[in-house]
Amino acid sequence: MYTTALLAQCRAEIKRTLRNRRFFIFSLMMPALFYFIFTGVVGDSMQIGGTDWKSYYLMSMTVYGVLGSSITSLSSRLAAERASGYIRLLRVSPLPSTVYVLSKLVSTLMVNAGIIVFMFLLGGLVKGVSMGWESWLACGLWIWAGSLPFMALGTLIGLIKNTDLVQVIAQLVYMGISVLGGLWFPKQAMNSTLQRIMEALPSYRFGSGAWSLAAGHAVSLQSLLILCGYAVVFMVLSSYLNKRQEAI
Amino acid sequence: MSPNIMSRKEPVIALKELTKEFAGGKRAVDHLSFTVEAGTITALLGPNGAGKSTTISMILGLQQPTKGEVKLLGGSPQDLAVRSRIGAMLQDTETVHGLKVEEAIDLFRNFYSRPMPLELLLQMAGLEQERHKMASSLSGGQKRRLAFAMALAGDPEVLFLDEPTVGMDVMSRQVFWESVRALARLGKTIILTTHYLEEADQLADRIIVINNGRLIADGTPAEIKATTRHKSVIFTAGPGLTPGDLEQLPGTAEAVWNGRRVKLTSPDTDTLIFAIARMNLDVRDIEITGGGLEEAFQTLVQTEGAR
Repeated sequence: MYTTALLAQCRAEIKRTLRNRRFFIFSLMMPALFYFIFTGVVGDSMQIGGTDWKSYYLMSMTVYGVLGSSITSLSSRLAAERASGYIRLLRVSPLPSTVYVLSKLVSTLMVNAGIIVFMFLLGGLVKGVSMGWESWLACGLWIWAGSLPFMALGTLIGLIKNTDLVQVIAQLVYMGISVLGGLWFPKQAMNSTLQRIMEALPSYRFGSGAWSLAAGHAVSLQSLLILCGYAVVFMVLSSYLNKRQEAI
Repeated sequence: MSPNIMSRKEPVIALKELTKEFAGGKRAVDHLSFTVEAGTITALLGPNGAGKSTTISMILGLQQPTKGEVKLLGGSPQDLAVRSRIGAMLQDTETVHGLKVEEAIDLFRNFYSRPMPLELLLQMAGLEQERHKMASSLSGGQKRRLAFAMALAGDPEVLFLDEPTVGMDVMSRQVFWESVRALARLGKTIILTTHYLEEADQLADRIIVINNGRLIADGTPAEIKATTRHKSVIFTAGPGLTPGDLEQLPGTAEAVWNGRRVKLTSPDTDTLIFAIARMNLDVRDIEITGGGLEEAFQTLVQTEGAR
């Protein structure tokens, strides 16, 4: 019944993303640049986690790019729409708030699919990463679906009242969980204290699933459960805070 | 007309003892009751902080009343079916991010089952030249006109205009009110708030004056104007005139200085003029205006405040 509205809202969201320069810098340029720099420094064929470095680090950087679009783009846009009064306008329109939220998720998922395809093409065609098509597909689907908890995190950060603070916090959280989650430097390069912190982070669990799949293994149940746990916490928190803010 | 048909014709808006208290006990809206009939243009007037915007917010379901009841089109403003029949230009809505003017309007058109044609919306809002511009790059007045087009997107039966002309230049305002008049001729119900009293005077067929959250006057512009016999004397003060000189004049309210242009409001401007002449005050270019909505409005608000 609300398909027209949902499609229109998704189209608008994707247009906005593609017009945003920050999106190109943080979600496409930086992961691609890091990928070439760190495979250049370390060497393509160093063995790690049951696969070679260029495959392993391709997963790291794809996850990193997807995190950027899920956390920073989503949160800053939500905050801006609230500050500009756009959300008030939507609340007067017949668009149900569920359709609005759904359109944010669907459009972010579509953008994330684009990031994954871009990074995989870069790795496969330019760097010559070779995996069976099942592995490519499994890795792609995992990274795609695994971005959902981080969208919930982005929504949560977007609910912070102070708009300027939203951008700062989103950047800090994004960079923080990327570095501590082993997306920039692998777990093997860290000391044992950092490794323990790392294992508790959703970003590490997200990455480790992709690294396992790239090496031809299955995703560990532990990683899957921890990631799902985080998803539930983020979703419950953000829907609770959203309700509280609307009840003026 | 039989009473049966009369009773079936429900008002578009019905407020019953509507009250909004904020934390700290401040009453923004205080037992406000009135109804608005279909096809009318109603202006809600009142000084800053009188409770106009809070009232509109509650009618639209953006804020919850502390006490009392709001009915919009016979239902709750939260109801999506009701919302599909209304449109609103709110205060403090900046703009749509990352979209062009026509994209923003088209997005809103898609939320409604029977939207107005895009071309017509662009034309009514006077945004045909700007259709391909980014919404965020528009001037203040153009942004208000975009908000107008978005409010009209669903071809609403009821249109809320909260301070619609703020930031618009004189030309824009004329075009804007011409569009609003055209909508009124189509039988739309229009509720507006404005700071420009002459706009309300020319446009509305009913004026509701609110002060401190309470209704203090309700009638046609002519009826409201008839509540006061106050007129204004306006003149340019010469270099020799000081505000102190004016305090000795009989029966005037406070003088309003606008540069060297001074406005005195009084129930008896004849006596006032004679007094100015007798005292040989240093003034020139004297004008007497009277019976305007502005005088009536000021008298209403002042007597209410003194009560």
